[in-house]
Amino acid sequence: MSDCCGTPKPTNEASCCCGSDAEKIVLLYACSGGANVGEISDKAARELMFEGKGTMFCLAGLGGDIQGMVQTARDADVNLVIDGCPMDCAKKAFDRHGITNYTQIKVTDLGIEKVKGVRCTDEQVGQVVTVAREKLAEQTV
Amino acid sequence: MKKLQILGTGCPKCKKLAENTEAAAKAAGIEYELEKVTDINEIMKMGVMMTPALAVDGEIKVVGKVPDADAIKPMLQ
Repeated sequence: MSDCCGTPKPTNEASCCCGSDAEKIVLLYACSGGANVGEISDKAARELMFEGKGTMFCLAGLGGDIQGMVQTARDADVNLVIDGCPMDCAKKAFDRHGITNYTQIKVTDLGIEKVKGVRCTDEQVGQVVTVAREKLAEQTV
Repeated sequence: MKKLQILGTGCPKCKKLAENTEAAAKAAGIEYELEKVTDINEIMKMGVMMTPALAVDGEIKVVGKVPDADAIKPMLQ
């Protein structure tokens, strides 16, 4: 554990939350689906993590019913869920476990069309990141 | 006999969670064995990416938080 007693930093290891009690646990989940909007959700979540806005977590852990990961989402102060499209897969993963402490962003709601086989652009990712920053600012005050 | 596991590498919050868990178990009159899991690989195998965490009979009950003994007590039942 490399970053004990501080703000969790991007890492492939477990992070310690022994910072101040006032520090909120912010987790970031992306649908990471196969279309361009899935790629955007994934890249936006990673960008936010590298900015230090939160820690990206595996949505598949919820889908796969990994009990420790479900409890992690339940105990977080803020879960930011980035879905690519109106299928709401990421949101539904939370709903299925009765986890309600999340806020959702839907990429297609920002006017970005869902297309298969097309790479996303940095501008599109930036658009989602901007909205996410605003949502997180509201949630973490 | 309840198996209580404190997952964490030994930071002050991990120690506090262990203290509160023991206090809760004693207050509830529960027979228990307390294990401190400090190996990060073992912690991650349990699906926990943030510590401290509490597992009761293998089920993760708390992640990244240190509830007081009163709040822990119902988790031990």
